[in-house]
Amino acid sequence: MAADTPPPSAAPHSRGPAPRGDRPRKPRRQYVRKRKVCQFCVDKVDYIDYKNADLLRSFILDRGKIIPRRITGTCSRHQRWLKTAIARARNIALLPFAAGS
Amino acid sequence: MAEERFYELIFICQPDTPEPEIDKVIATLQQSIEEQQGRLEKLEKWGARKLAYRIGKNREGFYVFLAFRSRQSDLIKELERRLKVSEPVLKYLTVRIDEELKRQSKLAARRERRLARRPRKPAGESATAAG
Repeated sequence: MAADTPPPSAAPHSRGPAPRGDRPRKPRRQYVRKRKVCQFCVDKVDYIDYKNADLLRSFILDRGKIIPRRITGTCSRHQRWLKTAIARARNIALLPFAAGS
Repeated sequence: MAEERFYELIFICQPDTPEPEIDKVIATLQQSIEEQQGRLEKLEKWGARKLAYRIGKNREGFYVFLAFRSRQSDLIKELERRLKVSEPVLKYLTVRIDEELKRQSKLAARRERRLARRPRKPAGESATAAG
């Protein structure tokens, strides 16, 4: 996953790099890196419920591992809450611990 | 006396347990909650669900969910002891969530406040605070 530009930090407060719209566009290699936004911040979530297995399931891999926030774009605070919620859900068999089957 | 705390309790029964058997477990829990002056807020039978992993030999389990308030932390000990000794129960989980709910309402209130003053210009807000 080598990229020519360093990935922008996932911090929610920095509003991202300045728009570069008026740069001369090369058709090749020029792609807009879509800025990932914390899904929980967008939805203004204040509490991540461990009972909501369907929601939590979208933040774990099929193997059962938690998806890192550099992939999902979740902010650190929500990732922390998410982690707790997933841990609880795992305890009561709503989510898997690891690749079972 | 300790402050009132809010707990959620989930337990899983063997899927082939007859319903009256499960009701009996629930009844004993209810009884101990009452004995310790707890208040049961919610009682839900989620029914048989697929387990995310096998517990013993079971791939399915009958979920029961309780939410209650209590000032006695001994109540949790008592409930978990009862769950441990009752035959059909595979697994249980008690979570204390009052602090998270408190945080939730705090954040919600803060957002509301912020939204309320949003019509003004965000900058120069502190100058008007003296009024």
